Amino acid sequence: MNDSRKVYLDHSATTPVDPRVVAAMLPYFTQKFGNASSVHFFGQEARAAVDRARREVAALIGARANEIVFLSGGTEANNLAIRGVCEAASGHSRHLITSTIEHSSVRGICEGLGKSGWEITRLPAYEEGVVQAEDVRAALRPNTVLISVMLANNEIGTIQPIEEIAALVREERARGRRQLWFHTDAVQAAGRIPLHVDTLGCDLLSLSAHKLYAPKGAGALFVRRGVRLVSQNVGGHQEREKRAGTEGVPGIVAFGAAAKLAREEMAERSQHDQRLRDRFEAGVTERIGNVVFNGDRGRRLPHLSNISFRFIEGEGLLISLDLQGIAVSTGSACSSGTLEPSPVIRALGRNDELARGAIRFSFGKDNTEQDVEYVLEVLPRVVEKLRALSPLNREEMGRRDLEAIGQN
Amino acid sequence: MPLWLLTLIALTYSEAFKDHLANPRNAGELANANAVGEETNPVCGDRLRLYLQVKAGRIEAARFLAYGCPPTLVCGSILTELIKGRSVEEATRLTRKDLLAALGGLPSRKQHAAALAIETLRAAIASV
Ligand SMILES: Cc1ncc(COP(=O)(O)O)c(C=O)c1O
Repeated sequence: MNDSRKVYLDHSATTPVDPRVVAAMLPYFTQKFGNASSVHFFGQEARAAVDRARREVAALIGARANEIVFLSGGTEANNLAIRGVCEAASGHSRHLITSTIEHSSVRGICEGLGKSGWEITRLPAYEEGVVQAEDVRAALRPNTVLISVMLANNEIGTIQPIEEIAALVREERARGRRQLWFHTDAVQAAGRIPLHVDTLGCDLLSLSAHKLYAPKGAGALFVRRGVRLVSQNVGGHQEREKRAGTEGVPGIVAFGAAAKLAREEMAERSQHDQRLRDRFEAGVTERIGNVVFNGDRGRRLPHLSNISFRFIEGEGLLISLDLQGIAVSTGSACSSGTLEPSPVIRALGRNDELARGAIRFSFGKDNTEQDVEYVLEVLPRVVEKLRALSPLNREEMGRRDLEAIGQN
Repeated sequence: MPLWLLTLIALTYSEAFKDHLANPRNAGELANANAVGEETNPVCGDRLRLYLQVKAGRIEAARFLAYGCPPTLVCGSILTELIKGRSVEEATRLTRKDLLAALGGLPSRKQHAAALAIETLRAAIASV
């Protein structure tokens, strides 16, 4: 194998920008550079481009164009959705329901609200990494304002029962309840599985451009007509008063172009990703013992695989793979002698060893079969090497233990 | 040191570090060991086990096993290289700083790995 070979298997962290998307955005830097709020020709040209992009992003999720708010990315979309709705409702009610496996942005936002007096219920995701709609029903209180449950998890890819939760919300509304909204973070799901906001039944939905082959720094929040929220960015009239600030036209244009491609090529892309992922998982099962697949394998995004390698720790594996040109990620972090095993893997009830040994492999449209073969060649060697170092390994295999040696 | 510089160091491991990670020295058990030490970092669970073969006050052979983040593995590997062939007395004087110098430094948030290695060495020597 070529030493300089590079294989990128971290598409859940970010994706390369599609050259067709780059081509679409380029004119908006130098020729069509107007401010979308300006009255003159240059402004009108930029405004028209933003509106076209808005229609494309809306089409990706079955929304109306005027229900799309452009902003800087998934984190900001989650902030506007959760904080925006909670602020609009505070006064009457102060309870919100979320899950234990949300993205760190949602976790952080909820933590902040908790500090300012909100009551937060965090639903379990059980061993399979899937929230139960029945638990939502049980957690509902008369003063619940918002339910925020992600569409698909970013570490293990499990798809959550959004439609069932939405059905509960509809039941509550049918009983005359007004102030109950449902938000879902679809950052990982968009472009990978078909999404339609009317089928899903959510009121708010977060999107991020850089997960679907567009540049970093653009995102969108779907806000269903009739949902009241307080803008988190004030001082301008942009985005129907929901997000002040001059629109980042090139990024928005790119997002629109990427959304269009994602819609047109979704079936092809997800089949491709899934074929590589399944081939990879079959190879791992065949060649490496003592592995645990994390997340319900029948209910996952097609491009993602999360595996715990027993007896070894994820960061060592990550760096060793990196030295061989393979890019993956781990949800755990160890610093200053404090250990933070991936909260998501811990939420599945796995012990610290399994949580620390969890690695995420996420495939993308430009990966090839050769990439998978290369990884399947390198990974078993690296795992074996690290396991040869591990004392946990020996204990498990019942080799002679410390005491026996001590008595020598 | 300015924060940005610390961050930069934290993100990059030295070449010596990467080499030890890719090719650990003296890994595994030592069949004829007559001293062994094992320490666990109670907070993060990192573990290091050191086997020594000591003859006439001299460390003839050293091997290690480790579980934990890369600095822990690398410190185990470097430690065995530093003590092999030395007298027990010299090994006793080895400090965390010597270890850090040998591996080209560690980001401050990872320096506990070097401390674990020195503790394990002391435990092993105590068991002779
Ligand atoms: C599920 C999920 N939500 C939100 C985000 C944040 O998106 P952004 O990077 O655009 O802020 C991410 C990205 O890592 C994500 O995976």
